[in-house]
Amino acid sequence: MTVLWPIAVITFKEGIRNRAIYGISIFALLLLGANLLISSMIMQEVGKVAVDMALSTISFTGLLLVLFVGINLMAKDLDKKTIYMVLSRPISRPQYIIGKFLGIVLLILTTISILSIFAVISIFMVKLSYPGYFPRFSWPLILLSISFITISLILLSALTFLFASFSSTSFITLVLTIISYIIGQSIMDVKALVEAPQAAGIKVSPVTVKVVQAAYYVFPNLSIFDIKTQAAHGLPITLSYIFWAVSYGVVYTALAIIVASVIFRRREFP
Amino acid sequence: MQRVLPIVLILLLLPIHASILSKVAEGNKLLPKGEGTSYVLPSPILKIMSLEFDGIASDYTFLKALVFFGSTFERKERPRVKEWEWRWFYNILNASTHLDPYFLDPYYVAQAHLTWEGNMVRETNALLEKGSRYRDWDWVLPFYLGFNSFYFLLEDAKASEYLMEASKRPDASPILASLATRLAYKGKKTENAVIFLQEILSGTDDENTKKMYETRLNALKAILFLERAATAYQERFKRPPEKLEDMTAKNVIREIPKDPYGGKFYIDKDGSIKTTSELR
Amino acid sequence: MIKIEGISKEFKEGIGSKRVMALKDLTLDIHKGEVFGFLGPNGAGKSTAIKILINLISPDAGRASIMGKDVMDKDTRRHVGYLPENPYFYDYLTAEELLWFGGRASGLSNKVIKERTDDLLNKVNLQVARKRQLRTYSKGMVQRAGIALALVHDPDVVILDEPMSGLDPIGRKMVGDIMMELKAQSKTIFFSSHILTDIERFCDRVGIIVSGKLRLVDRLDSLLSGAAALENIFLKEVEKAGGGVEI
Repeated sequence: MTVLWPIAVITFKEGIRNRAIYGISIFALLLLGANLLISSMIMQEVGKVAVDMALSTISFTGLLLVLFVGINLMAKDLDKKTIYMVLSRPISRPQYIIGKFLGIVLLILTTISILSIFAVISIFMVKLSYPGYFPRFSWPLILLSISFITISLILLSALTFLFASFSSTSFITLVLTIISYIIGQSIMDVKALVEAPQAAGIKVSPVTVKVVQAAYYVFPNLSIFDIKTQAAHGLPITLSYIFWAVSYGVVYTALAIIVASVIFRRREFP
Repeated sequence: MQRVLPIVLILLLLPIHASILSKVAEGNKLLPKGEGTSYVLPSPILKIMSLEFDGIASDYTFLKALVFFGSTFERKERPRVKEWEWRWFYNILNASTHLDPYFLDPYYVAQAHLTWEGNMVRETNALLEKGSRYRDWDWVLPFYLGFNSFYFLLEDAKASEYLMEASKRPDASPILASLATRLAYKGKKTENAVIFLQEILSGTDDENTKKMYETRLNALKAILFLERAATAYQERFKRPPEKLEDMTAKNVIREIPKDPYGGKFYIDKDGSIKTTSELR
Repeated sequence: MIKIEGISKEFKEGIGSKRVMALKDLTLDIHKGEVFGFLGPNGAGKSTAIKILINLISPDAGRASIMGKDVMDKDTRRHVGYLPENPYFYDYLTAEELLWFGGRASGLSNKVIKERTDDLLNKVNLQVARKRQLRTYSKGMVQRAGIALALVHDPDVVILDEPMSGLDPIGRKMVGDIMMELKAQSKTIFFSSHILTDIERFCDRVGIIVSGKLRLVDRLDSLLSGAAALENIFLKEVEKAGGGVEI
């Protein structure tokens, strides 16, 4: 633990001072500002749209953060050999991976917290302007949804570690991460679709079904953490669902990090 | 010179840019917009493609539908909205509600426009059925379903069922239950429709939609007025009026009300009051 | 202190699977308190040998140990300071934070780190720039920060890969002074260079490596007593190895 902390701290500092983060934040603020504008175009469920906008902005910004700041933090270590300054200390490869990961988790938590404050303000302002249009509205659900978004971002960045542990350039890591993200968000729906294709009036070969079912277990089911719709409409989420979803996130993240450590142990840095 | 040149160039290019833009935008409006195709990507595919952003994708598709519909009001030609455009409008609202079946606005817009103007009552009801299933706390959607069944589809029994369902949901208007029983009386169609519309109107705050329903309500009130006059005429002269002018001539009514849709009221062959505008 | 026994390392070059022998059966023994100069033309395998000592790459054959512990064990690096060739650190950290990391990762307390930081940054003349982010540093400043980082935990063994590269004459003198001071504290120094004058100035012993093979290891004074200049000995070894390498 004593060596994990310094790695996490320098990773976090390196990330939070990155210029990309300013760009991402400005983008997020613009989107949240747009929330006020778009909400005024809705006739009935202003609350739903305001929550949609706020949560999607957080999610999308977090995605940009993981893809462009998170991956870069890891990739630069390998590309520019900054990893030497870490590995020349009494630090093992798994410790490096875990410390670095903690740093990025810290970065995600900080960014999401700041964004959440702005998101809450934007929802609050819309609520103030159209108080009659928030029939089923729940702050706890919104906060739960934000927590779920955070978990899925952490999971995704654990995956970037896995990819970075064996890929030679950051570009490959980026592409693999984006592919996993897209598969991860849609695999549940795709699985449902290919297992009952008659519902949509399409034909699916048995091989496709097998491939999709395999992908279902390999890729992270990120859609598990997507409860934006429920948050927007104030639909209840059961405690057991929260428990299982969080467990899934923790287990998948742990698996990704462990596999990354194993691969990384054998890696050379010439 | 070297410093001035770029500034001069920029000042020169700016107005050129602006004028080209307006030309292109004009041309862009005239681009064929898939004339005659109401195709919208199948909803399951849209749902998969929108990843975790299906809520906002739903908002987006809905706004797209709304922007399109709003733009048709600038048109000069009649009918304002073409047949295939209604289909497209329906498809996109359907997609929006597939992405987020809890989203009320698409149902609301479908009810306001697809039924009266778009002549797509069955489709609207399918949409509302979905919404009513998901929004099981909301009495408005089964209430719409009841109205459509009663007024457009002339299925009074079905309409009563919907209304009873609506009346059981929280905060339902107390008028629903009595309305459901009233539907049993034949020959009170217009009167019941007026009650329906007044109820819809009381739950509407959006200015444009409100105006639309008010116009509709005024037209129906005019028809109701003429129907009652025709009944009075029948009682007094023991035969139905052949045309509306008969009633003004015999001083049953002072004047024939104006159709707010710009049409003319007339008495159909079966004796019912109609208008040339068909309330569109 | 540093023991390298029969190490070989082969690199695959690109996808064409063309193999390059970077080190061939390298054996070296460096004693405590010794300043050992590792001399060789560019691409001779100096950095490869050093990276094996830091466990950044693992040898195909042979083993290496520092202070009796295998280099695969991370704890060996508790007592080793390492300066990479052309070091590059996190852009957005300050020199102070860099040394804080080095100290904490090596298990120092904040108080000790502070003292060491003040001392070292003074020595490498980065006291004024200590709160500036490293991305604003010149190449020489980064190199000096790297030396401070290598020494922050007061290591017994110091391994420097081309410590003089990218430094101006003042910087070279600064690093030279630091090396002399370390020598006076009887630290073990292992450094690589292709600059002969550096080797001549500081080294007790010299190893000359050409194309992955160690050609010669001897005490500097006995080498120079043969009246030949180090330059000539070096060039002769390179020529013998058949490498027409420019210096």
